[in-house]
Amino acid sequence: MNYDFDVIIIGGGHAGVEAADVSARMGKKAGLITMDASKLALMSCNPAIGGIGKSHLVKEIDALGGLMGKAIDATGIQFRRLNLSRGPAVWSTRVQADRIKYNDYVVNYIKEQHNIEVIEALAGKLLTENGSICGVLTENGDKITCRTVIICSGTFLGGLIHIGPTKIKAGRLGENAAYKLSDSLDELGFELGRLKTGTPPRLNGDTIDFDKCELQPGDTPIPYYTNDCNRPDFKQMPCYLTYTTAETKAIVSKHFNDSPIFSGQINSTGPRYCPSIEDKFYRFADKERHQLFLEPEGNGTNEIYPNGFSTALPEEIQHKAIRTVEGLEKVEITKPGYAVEYDYCPAYQIKPNLETKRVSGLFFAGQINGTSGYEEAAGQGLMAGINAVLYLEKEKPFILDRSEAYLGVMIDDLTTRSTTEPYRLFTSRAEYRLAIREDNARDRMYRYARRFNLVDEAKLDAFDKLVADTSTEIGLLKSNRIHISQLGEVGERFKRKDSISLEEYLKQPGVTVHDLIPLLGNFNGDFSDNREILERAAIDIKYAGYIEKQQREINKFKKMENESIPEQFDYTDITGLKNEAKEKFTRFRPISLGQASRIEGITPGDVAVLSIYLKKHKDTITK
Amino acid sequence: MKNILLEDTIVAIITPPGEGGIAALRIAGNDARSILSKHFKPQQKNRGVKPFLMRFGFFVDDSKNVIDEIMTVYMPAGKSYTGCEQVEIFCHGGRQVVRLIQDTIIGSGARMAEPGEFTKLAFLAGKIDLTKAESVAEIISANTSSSFETAREHLLGAYSEHIGMLREQLIDILAEIEASIDYPEEEIDPKDQEKLISDFDDLLGKISELKKSYKGGRIINEGFKIAIGGRPNAGKSSLFNLLLRQQRALVTPKAGTTRDYLSEWIDIDGFKVNIIDTAGLRKAGGTIEKEGQKSAKSILKSADLVLWLVDISSKGYKKQIETDLQDITNNHILKLYNKIDKSASSPEHPDTDTILISCKTEKGISQLKKEISARINATIPDLTAGVVVTSARHKQKFSNAEKMIKAARDKCLEKESPELPAFDLREALKELDEITGKVYNEDILGRIFAKFCIGK
Repeated sequence: MNYDFDVIIIGGGHAGVEAADVSARMGKKAGLITMDASKLALMSCNPAIGGIGKSHLVKEIDALGGLMGKAIDATGIQFRRLNLSRGPAVWSTRVQADRIKYNDYVVNYIKEQHNIEVIEALAGKLLTENGSICGVLTENGDKITCRTVIICSGTFLGGLIHIGPTKIKAGRLGENAAYKLSDSLDELGFELGRLKTGTPPRLNGDTIDFDKCELQPGDTPIPYYTNDCNRPDFKQMPCYLTYTTAETKAIVSKHFNDSPIFSGQINSTGPRYCPSIEDKFYRFADKERHQLFLEPEGNGTNEIYPNGFSTALPEEIQHKAIRTVEGLEKVEITKPGYAVEYDYCPAYQIKPNLETKRVSGLFFAGQINGTSGYEEAAGQGLMAGINAVLYLEKEKPFILDRSEAYLGVMIDDLTTRSTTEPYRLFTSRAEYRLAIREDNARDRMYRYARRFNLVDEAKLDAFDKLVADTSTEIGLLKSNRIHISQLGEVGERFKRKDSISLEEYLKQPGVTVHDLIPLLGNFNGDFSDNREILERAAIDIKYAGYIEKQQREINKFKKMENESIPEQFDYTDITGLKNEAKEKFTRFRPISLGQASRIEGITPGDVAVLSIYLKKHKDTITK
Repeated sequence: MKNILLEDTIVAIITPPGEGGIAALRIAGNDARSILSKHFKPQQKNRGVKPFLMRFGFFVDDSKNVIDEIMTVYMPAGKSYTGCEQVEIFCHGGRQVVRLIQDTIIGSGARMAEPGEFTKLAFLAGKIDLTKAESVAEIISANTSSSFETAREHLLGAYSEHIGMLREQLIDILAEIEASIDYPEEEIDPKDQEKLISDFDDLLGKISELKKSYKGGRIINEGFKIAIGGRPNAGKSSLFNLLLRQQRALVTPKAGTTRDYLSEWIDIDGFKVNIIDTAGLRKAGGTIEKEGQKSAKSILKSADLVLWLVDISSKGYKKQIETDLQDITNNHILKLYNKIDKSASSPEHPDTDTILISCKTEKGISQLKKEISARINATIPDLTAGVVVTSARHKQKFSNAEKMIKAARDKCLEKESPELPAFDLREALKELDEITGKVYNEDILGRIFAKFCIGK
């Protein structure tokens, strides 16, 4: 076997498939190395896509022509919008997936892409020449040559599964792990660290008493991610809510020491936002019970995922403990829960285009950068794919900033801060939260999609029309007035006026577009009957003051972002700079003064010194 | 290796002007050491300049003539207060001697340091944070014992700590709100509305206290301002000169500005007092006089105490007082009935805001000083009771933060969507950050994870 590719992607998870897809669609020959070609984009843990903050990513991925939104829309079994009682900036979509169908969808999709070749192999060694990547050697000894490599190794890189005292070398239960690749990275000089994550046992749904659980149905109308999804005969499946009991607490607490998390067998850090059940009872000892979500894994299976019961306890204790949960008294475990440790490369080693600083043409995406989550992985895969192509074409890298996208927030966080736990997105990570929302992902991303030719012309044009119609709608809401007697309690706030504009009404605290819709019947048919247009207009009005204020902040922020620092800049000669700051700057290599100011431990004084130096030596520093 | 922050070498006398036992000079910059070597002759030949070692010897001029006996210490770049190569010289305190040494150093290539330049260098070198930098500036300009104490307390970090505490409280509230946004499905018990609002009110109360302390804090920092007003020939200049002569005159911390009125600094009871004679305003004639009157009015209005002089030997003075004082909006006016030596009879029933004096015989002057002292003491906050805001910049930041926190509180009360009060609170946090340091998103998340059991 002797292959040659433009881009080699190592790993066929959520990052890998996005990276392969986008580089292929941008005209490059992509080789996707995976251990099992039938397991592309398999959901190793939770059978769901989205959630608060994460759904923002999915929308951005979709607006950049990515795969995830389409795949989940086609194979989701339950669609919900979270936070609807709050403002539109934090509205989020969460979709339960049919795990098998999602995987099938992606396998077929990739098969149809003529520029992608799926190679079943275990990547063993990275080949470099003069500091640039030039190929991959598989563990079988096959050599594949290429100009760029994107590593999306997930939990398989040095993966080690723990179930009680048992240790298994694997990235997913019953599968293999990539140890030689870790060695190769180490040989190239990369710093490797260990992280940990976990998953709950899977349950046989036929042995669950759902009558004892609370039903959680999907939402209608169905909130698809993509704007053109249509599944006419689709019926949503419910999830269920249940709780642990005092007995669960007693059993788990009694066996703390049997868990590798507490016994000292695992030293690496797991995510605080996704603790194991033993961790929950340990850290929040005064909490009597914890809630669990029972999520179906699909239409064609009776397997159930008990969300909230991640554990590494020995199998028999898992069995004993889960049977104390309401409704699960007779449940059978189909697969045990486990913890998995894996290697990652602390992300100070990558640049904001996800390329490594050490080896040109080598990119990292997903868990190797210390993140967790399918959406975070997919987002990085997409960005790495685009940047690998730009690298090949010797074009400027594609970097989104914190005010543009959650993708930008994530990658900026990764490249300016040390990882202490697997990283996931939250809306609270975005300081410009009101400006970067689910609803305006296309407003933010389509210009890039157009630049890289990633979305159909027709779709882009249709969106332009939507934008125009939205501003017409805003005009109508400003010019049409309504009598305050029609506004109930809200109307009472206006004592001196007979009528107010619909715009003014929408701006009132507590008033949303849902309150507005029934009122529109009173007006002549000028208003659009497209709900999306109305929603967009309403959001625009509701947030106008804040957005304006935030825009001023963004302008300030952009100014700092535009003060660029050359890539090979030497910090050692800046005498006014503390050694600690020099080390930090040299380690993270910020691309701009703005990024420099966000590096952990950097003080405003350090930035002032750096800024003065850069200004003074503007002419001599080559950019 | 050149220091980029400072291309010149700078020098300044760092002890207060005036005669004293010992005076000190500081040289900072790339040539500090070489300048010292040129002018220092160690008493013992083998005891030359070495880092951090105090050396005794002679300061000599370019012709090797001895100017003074000195002690001196040298600190290499990176290991001094300013972060630059630095030299300190301790000489005898005679005004002439210090000046001569300074001039010699300037003659060898150094330039005079600008006010606060050493501190600025220390801040940029990361030796001190912003609050500390401001405190150092305050210490430098602290001419009296009480303002020195406040400044010292700032430096010790009590102030930073206090703001840190406020910030903690703010982050607590924010974490509460953020958790409800990012984890709507979690079983977290958000504090009930009432508790949240009371947390808000507690925080707002503390900020408002701090803001209030500025009223006295400003006086500690900028001095207590006394304006002397009155009709022409009421004796304003005589009183001004009398007070100056009797009290220890202070060197103004804000020297060098040209003013069309007389302003001096004196020490009363350990407090810095800025005494202004508005008389100077009326000396010019014609159109300037109008301008002068306008600015006299604004001085009288902003003064912490107005001494309104009245010539009781002139006719109808009582009526004049009424009309004159109508124009002055200031609640702290002390009427001084002057020239009691000239007046045939004592005026009737002077009220508690009136003192009878004679600038000529100095009668009543000691009573006046007692009264001034009492009034200062009534305005100055109790320094032992808590932290005092003395910087106008900080006062502004607290006001901004207070405004944003109030807005957030009202939104929570109105049950407005939580991302909006969160927005306001982050703005408030930014204001506090600008006083001390930075809050990262990570800090907020850390609080959420510590408080709530999260994990779906």
